[in-house]
This record gives sequence, C-alpha cells and structure tokens, in this order.
Amino acid sequence: MSTTRRRILQSFSGGLAGILASGVAPYGFVRNIVKAAESDTIKVGILHSLSGTIAIIETSLHNAELLAIEEINAKGGVLGKKIQPVVEDPQSLVQVFAEKAKKLLLADKVAAVLGCYTSASRQSVLPVFEENNGVLLYPTLYEAQECSKNCFYTGAVPNQQLDDFVPWILNTLGRKKFYLIGANYIYPKETNREVKALLQKHGGTTVAEEYSPLGSTEFSTNINKIASSGCDVVFSDLVGDQIVAFYKQFREFGITAKDIPICTPITTEQEIAAMGPENAVGHYTSFNYFQSVDTPQNKSFVERYKAKYGKNAVTNAVMEAAYFQTYFLAQAIAKVKSTDADALIYEGLPGQEFQAPQGKVKIDEKNHHTWLWARIGKANEQGQFDVVWKSEDWIRPQPWVPYLYPNKNCDFTDKRVLERLKKPWSQEKNRSGTIDS
Amino acid sequence: MLQSIITQFLSGFSVVAILVISALGLAIIFGVAGVINMAHGELIMVGAYTAAVVGKLGGNTFIAIPVAFVVVGLLGLIIERGIIQWIYDRPLETLLATWGVGIILQTVMKLIFGPELYYVGAPKILEGGFRMIGRLPFPWYRLFLIVIAILLLALVFYVIFKTNLGLKIRAVRRNRAISGCLGIDAARIDMTIFAFGSGLAGIAGAVLAPIKSVSTTMGFPYAVDSYMVLVLGGVGSLWGVLTGGALIGEAETILSFIFNNVIGRLLVFLFIVIIIRVVPRGIFGYYERR
Amino acid sequence: MPEPAVGDHLRSVGRSERRRYRAPPFVPLWALIGIAAVVALIGTYPYYGSNAYVLSLLGKFLCFAIFALSIDLIWGFAGILSLGQAVYFGIGAYFVALSLKINYALAHPTRYGGKFPDFMEWNGLTELPQFMTPLISTPFAVFCALSVPTLLGLLFGVITFKRNIYGVYCAVITLAEALILQEIIIEYQAYTGGFNGITDYSNYATPGFLWFILAVVVVFLLIARALTHSRVGTVLKSIRDNDVRAEFMGYNVANYRIFVFCVSAFMAAAAGALYAAWVGIVSFLDAGPVFSIEGVIWTAVGGRGTLIGPVIGTFLVKGAEFFLSGVLASWWQIIVGGLFIFVVLVLRDGIVGSIGNWIRKLKKGATLHQLIEESDQKAHDRQLEWRPGGPPPTDEPVR
Repeated sequence: MSTTRRRILQSFSGGLAGILASGVAPYGFVRNIVKAAESDTIKVGILHSLSGTIAIIETSLHNAELLAIEEINAKGGVLGKKIQPVVEDPQSLVQVFAEKAKKLLLADKVAAVLGCYTSASRQSVLPVFEENNGVLLYPTLYEAQECSKNCFYTGAVPNQQLDDFVPWILNTLGRKKFYLIGANYIYPKETNREVKALLQKHGGTTVAEEYSPLGSTEFSTNINKIASSGCDVVFSDLVGDQIVAFYKQFREFGITAKDIPICTPITTEQEIAAMGPENAVGHYTSFNYFQSVDTPQNKSFVERYKAKYGKNAVTNAVMEAAYFQTYFLAQAIAKVKSTDADALIYEGLPGQEFQAPQGKVKIDEKNHHTWLWARIGKANEQGQFDVVWKSEDWIRPQPWVPYLYPNKNCDFTDKRVLERLKKPWSQEKNRSGTIDS
Repeated sequence: MLQSIITQFLSGFSVVAILVISALGLAIIFGVAGVINMAHGELIMVGAYTAAVVGKLGGNTFIAIPVAFVVVGLLGLIIERGIIQWIYDRPLETLLATWGVGIILQTVMKLIFGPELYYVGAPKILEGGFRMIGRLPFPWYRLFLIVIAILLLALVFYVIFKTNLGLKIRAVRRNRAISGCLGIDAARIDMTIFAFGSGLAGIAGAVLAPIKSVSTTMGFPYAVDSYMVLVLGGVGSLWGVLTGGALIGEAETILSFIFNNVIGRLLVFLFIVIIIRVVPRGIFGYYERR
Repeated sequence: MPEPAVGDHLRSVGRSERRRYRAPPFVPLWALIGIAAVVALIGTYPYYGSNAYVLSLLGKFLCFAIFALSIDLIWGFAGILSLGQAVYFGIGAYFVALSLKINYALAHPTRYGGKFPDFMEWNGLTELPQFMTPLISTPFAVFCALSVPTLLGLLFGVITFKRNIYGVYCAVITLAEALILQEIIIEYQAYTGGFNGITDYSNYATPGFLWFILAVVVVFLLIARALTHSRVGTVLKSIRDNDVRAEFMGYNVANYRIFVFCVSAFMAAAAGALYAAWVGIVSFLDAGPVFSIEGVIWTAVGGRGTLIGPVIGTFLVKGAEFFLSGVLASWWQIIVGGLFIFVVLVLRDGIVGSIGNWIRKLKKGATLHQLIEESDQKAHDRQLEWRPGGPPPTDEPVR
C-alpha cells in the first residue's frame, strides 16, 4: 500500500474512530437504559448456545421458546403486556454462560431466564441466580441430586427416565452386559453411577466405563474397544456433536443395532437429523416425548413448529420441555400478577399445570420439578422414533435418587427449608431445598 | 489383544491420511509463502460446507472435491489479493490478519447456514468395509481417504517439482528479486500459491465432511493439527508433511488405544514439544528448504 | 587550513539541536495525567454507577489489561511472539481458584455432605488429595500462583532461547504448550474441575478490590516502564532489532530473553491470580491458545511496543464486544474480525502507536513499525537461511 494511500486511510480512520467512540458508546449506554425503562413489555431471558459443540440441540430449545412466546403474544401477552425475549448466545462455553446470566439478570433485568442444557452450564449459572434472586427454568433431563430455590426443573430426572429404561433393556431386550461411554463431565458420571446402581439391583453387569472430552469427534479407538469387549449393549451419555460422530463411526465399522444396540437417554430427533437416519436405525432412546407421540396437542405443536421453522424441522423432548416451560412462566406471571421473583417462586410456578404435547404436566409444589411421562423409542428409517414402551401414568419426580441417597429429600414446603430461605443470601449459599430425613 | 492392536495400527493409517490431507494446504501456504494462516481451519470448513451444498443439490463426494477446490481456491485468491499481499514482509502479523479473516468467515458462514450441524453423506459406493485382520471391517471410506492422501501428495509433488509453474514457485521462494529480473511475476506466483493452498484446504474439507460433523466451528482443531504436523515434520518439505503426519497419527492412535483419547493426544503434544526442542525446525527442516 | 580539532563538529552543532537530545522522562506528563484520570474514572465507578455487571466487567478487563501488558513486554520490546502466555495466566488463576474453592468447601459442605470441592466428589475422590492440603492457606496459594508460572517461564525460556528458537517456531511451540496445558486441565478433572472449570466459590468483586487491582495495574506499568527505560530495556530493544549484532556486542542474548520472559510470566500469573479472585469462575479456556491469541490481538490493536497501548487495546476490543453484541447481535464478530485486519493493514502500530507516530511525525521521526518490522523480517529470514555449521547470516534479507 503506498504511503499516501495509507496516510489518507489513517486519517480517515482516525476521524471515524473518533466519531464512533464519541457516538456509539454513549448510544449503546443510552439504548440500554431506555430499554430498561420500557415498562410495556415483560422481558424474559433466553440463554441457549447458538454456536459451539452443544448448539446442535440447544438451538432447538431456543426456537421452541421463541415459538411459545410468539403464541402467547398473539393471544394478547401476559397481564396485557407482550413478552420480549432477550437472547444471549453462550457459545457452549460454561464461563460464558455465567457471564451472560449475570448480564441478563443485572443489566437487562429480565423477569426470568429460560436456559441451559448441559449440567455444567446450569451449575455455573446457578450461583448467579441464587445470589441475585433470579428465576431459571431449566428444560433438560439431568442427573438430579439438586434442588435450588431459584431453579425450576422441567426436564426428566432419573426416576422418570432411567428407572424404567434400564430394567427394560435387561428384561425386554435381554441385554445384560453394558458398556458405558459418556462425555467427560458431571452429568454422564452421575448418570453412570445411577445406571450401575440399577444394574446391581436388577441383575446386569458393567463391562467397561469410558469418558470422552466434550467436542471430540474421533471414536475409532473406542469402537474398537467396544467390539473387543464382549458387551452386548452400549449405554451412551455422549452429548452434542459427539453423538453424531459416534453413531456415524459406529455404523462405519459395521456394527449393527442388532449386534450391539446403543441405548441412550440423550439422542434426539435433532441429532438423528444431523447424522442421517440410516446411522441411527434400530438404536434406542428413552425420553418423555417423541415427535411421533400420538396426541392431538402434539400433532398441532409439530405443525406449528414446522410452519415457523421449515418442513424439515424436527421436534424433540428437550425443546418440548422448553416450550411448555414458557407457558408455565406465562401462567405463573398471570397468576401472581407481577414479575417479582419471590412471588413467582413461592406462589406462581409451583403447581402449574399444562396440557403439553407429551400429555398433562405439572410442576410439583414440593420439589419444583415436573411430573412427566416416560417413553422408550426405537429409531426408524425416517429419522423418527417408534414408541415401544410408555408409562401408564405420569410420574412424580424424585430429585434425590432414593437408591443412592435414601436419606435426602427436596421439599420447599418444609418449615426448615423456609426458615433457611428467609435468611439473606450469604456465603452460606443457603438456597437449597434439600432436607435430611 | 494383538489383533486389536494391529487393527488400531491399520486404522491409524486413516488418521494419518486425515492429518496429511488437512496439512497439505497449509504446507503450501506456510512452507512456500511463509504466511502463518490462522484461517486454515476456516478454509477447511468452507470446503466442508461446499460439499454439504453439493450434496443437497444431488451430487456426491466425488463431485464435491473439484467444486470445493475451485470455490475455496477462489476464496483464497480474494483473501490474498485483499489482505495478504500487503503483509508478506511481516510474517507475525499475517497471524493476526488471518485470525481476523477466520473470525469473519466463521460468522458469515453462521449467518448463511445457521449454527446447526450439517449432514454430509459418503457416496454409496464407499459404504461398508472389507474384512481384514481383526474383528472389525476396515471401512471403505477410510481406505478412500488414504488413497486421496497419496494422490494429493503426488499431485503436489508433481506440480512443485515437475511443472514450469512449480519451477517458478521455487524460484520466487528462493530469491524474489532475481526471479523478477528473470521475468517471473512474483505477485502472480504469490496469488497462485495461496489459491492453490486454499484449494487443497477446500478438498480436505470436502473429503473429511462425511466422517466428521460439519459446523461453523469445526475448523480450529484441524488448523492446530496441521500446524503440529508441519512443525514436527519440517516446514517447506513434502516429506516432512508425510513424516509428521505419520508420526503424529500413529502415535495418537496407538496411545489412545492403550490409555484413552485425551491422554493419547496429550502425550503426542508432549512428544512434539520434546522433539522440537531437539530438532527445532522439524525433522526434515534442516535438510530441505524448498 | 588549520587541522580540525577534536570536537569541532560539536561546536558547529547549534544549541537548539544539542538541547533536543534529552533522555525521555520516566513518566511523561501526559501519561501521568492520563493514568490518574483513568484510575479515578474506573475506581470511582462503584460510587456513581450502580450496575453490578459493569463493575464485574471493569475488574475483568483490568486483569486482561495486565495480561496484554505482559504480552507486550515480550513481543513489543523483545520481539518474542509467544502464543502460550495463557499458560502462566491459567496456572496463576487455577492456584488461587483452587485455594479459594477448598476454603469455601471447608466452610460450606457440598450438597453431598463432603467438606471438599464438589467436583472432586462427583469424580470419585473421597477426600481432599494430600498434595492439595497446603493450598488451604491462601497466602501460600498466592505465592505458588506467582512463583510456579515464573519458574515455568524460566524453564521454557531456557529450553527455547538457549537453543535459539524464535520467531515463527517459537510461536507455534508456545501454542502447543498452551494446548497441552488445556488438555491436562480437561483430562484431570478430579483435580482441576475439567471442562466445567472451578465455579461456585465466592468472588470478591467489591469496590475495595477494584482499587487493589487498579493499584496493581499502575505498579506493573511503572515496572514495565522502568524495565524498558533502563539499560536492560535498551539492550532488549537492540536484541529485538538485531540479535546477531547484539550478540557480537557481547550481550548474552539468550539470558536477556529469558529474563524478560520470566518477568512477563510473573505479570501474567499475577493477572491470572487477580482474575480468579475477582470473577469467581476459571476454566480451561483461561489457559488455552485461544485466550493467548486474544491477548496478542488486544496488544496489537492497542499498540505493540507502547506500554499504555495494550491496556487501551484490551478495553477497546472487549468493550466493543460488549456493546456490539448487545446492539448487533449476529454481526458483531464480523466487525471485530474486520478490526483486526484493519489494524494490521492500516494502523500498523495499533491505536496508541499510531497516535505516537503521528506525534513523532510532527517532530519528523521514524514510525514505530519501521523500527520493529525490520527486525521481524530479518529474524524470519535468518531462521530460514542458517544451517548449523555454516557461515553466520548477514543482515541483508535474501528476498
């Protein structure tokens, strides 16, 4: 670049930078202040990864929540005001989750946040919610052993998923030798603990247990080990991109679902769409909801979702939870006629019911988890699941797995818990609803 | 047990192939032009998305390969003319500029395609595998990858050493000023190098897409691996690419089998760092300088 | 004609020209005023601003600024591009975070009832590992946080510079080192918290701590100024510009490089320690290559080779990210990427450096990048040209 051209560019850019610095920065500040001052909308934060290794599934949660908000606004909103979603992208990184949660609560002052998928992200944002008394609605299945005042869990806990799945694999499928493979963080580790306990109870064996870092996509070594281990079923808690790579390479190495099926509580229609149905045929997933569930609410829900996001879009259990939890929130705000966090937590949300696509669901008054239905599905060639088992009734959630922690319970109506919650938040982090019985 | 180790060793060849394929493009750009291209991973990503689009339009991987070469090659040309040509004399700042290019590419692709994973299928002919030693069949597609790696190496070797263009490239590399005196248009050669290297990265993306997931953030690990291959094998040497890839690929596969994936990778990095201390410019870096 | 006497030429030099040659002051007046103003502005934010989120950002950016300063020290003044500075930052951060977390867990049992960090519990450990018990003492942890990275910097420095590895190869090797650390942290998650990092220990984001961080920033700026202004600094700059000549002049180039590398590692470690205490969450990201490259970018944007530059560059880039991601949700990264390219192509010395150039040009001096780039290119060529046992390389570039 010639000197004169560079000099012209430099002076031009200097001027531009000056204008920008003097203009944009205050503009941004003012805009934020103005936004906060707007009082004719109710702001709700949406904290799901739209990029990174978990984006494959979390974008569907984000989409479902936006669909629900759109529907609620179309019916007139809540308390006469429209719901305004404030979307943040934490890029599948735990640290960024915590930072964006702080931003949503402190800078944007949202009424509640619908967010998180991995347990790692939830654990990193929970201290922020507890310290600032926010409300988090968490739609994802998780390993339980937790109940926080500031979080409402609308995803499955083990007794709504694993407790029926593992015995079903042992008895109906007749597979007794489990190879456990999972991602390397708390959810798969805790889940595998639960699976091993269930296997002990019902008579199965664990052949091996392996963990792979989140985001890794090379599984040929693991598959080789699986083939030479003598197992007859793989129980997978792989998450996100890993699922696609694993299933693809599994089939590439010639292992069919008849030889060694993969059974997992995580793989959804979404990941199957990304890997191609032929890579998933014959493998099993346990969930509360599948796109193929046959209820009138579900048919309409799938239609509406496809209408908004394209006819190739698929629905799955976690985004269905994201969808009905948005309705829970709206109903709660309408019930207590305010967006005050304590009002929502103590009166608004507990006990809320909704006719969800999976069936009727309810937030338990005592432990802030959700009554859900349990199903087991077998993947078919269209990328959908054929429901091969369904629970007879909805299942009450048990946040403390009884066979691992028989002495603990979660009860927000208990006097001891209420006493604890009355105290101001302190280093004690006294926001848990757990009591030892 | 021995069977498993042998199977691992063989499947390690496919990992070597993957490394070689992804590092070749960078070997051209870094080794010949001296540009630290931090956008290499993103170029591979664009190649993978090209393959995805070709797949959507009804083509398969065989068609995707030349298409990706052209598309990403053109992209490389634009990058070179717009940005790189001004900063050849500042190697460390090419790092920053190409990092910026990488970010822009990632964001633009995210805006166009969305952040979800894309499904790219392997061609039907190459599905399944053939029985070799060991319990598991060796997938045809991985064999295809090995073949592609050999072909690409041969292609690059041919272009650089047996063609007129390659002669010019080597001349410019060795002494820019004198080459100019002899009538070689150095600027054109620079363009060609960068475009060619980018095209190779595009082919890498197209070929790797069916076995790994395609997303806008898939690029960085490939860039890291490519740099490791080059640093170990020696910058500016084709034998170096092969050796570096072979050592890293096999070491990673075998160590992953004995320990686990993460420790395998860790040990390989440690191994690289130690070797570099002893042989700072890579195994073939001292003896060949092309 | 009479024989010219020694010193005659000086007599012909005018008094104004002789007066012009004055060593630059330790802290120029404009810098003093500027730093005081910024410190006052940031330090008093808790009193005029009420947004806790912005407060947390300010402290974080200050820690990043120290990190960028450490990179500038070795890159701008000594010519070493290290893409692994995050290693020292990360180790410093992890020591402090572990100590705070252990202390926190001792006082507040986890949901499983253990008195040690929860991530250790769900990874299968039954009690605090023996080798971690000394970390209960936070002063000791801080001492480790500062000394271990410095020693590691010494080790890396010796191995790298004694073997004359610099330039591009140094960059890639340090990149590999950062990756190794990142992988170690993720793998040994029973001890480090792994992918999740260490979270959920109390943070100290108070106004008092903000003042402390500001004080540390000022102190480090003064230290860096002292270093670059002294004889050592001059030798370093000469090494940056032409290390072979410096070697021939008798300076032990490797030792000088190792020294400045250690100082920079110490600074990065201090930045990490402050960061861990302020923010309340550390993860493998803080020790990895991406963070290192970000630090290099902040330095480049602000002005490599200046001292205030990295600080300004950090605040500018991170501030831009903060604002733009709110205003232009999907596009802001394009702008950030464009900014890097722009800085490299047009504002070659970064923002502060360009301002300095402009002022210098008013006084008819050389631009900063002219001083630096020549050394880069020469170093690069020498790397490629020299064979062991051959004749020493000359100064002229071969290209």
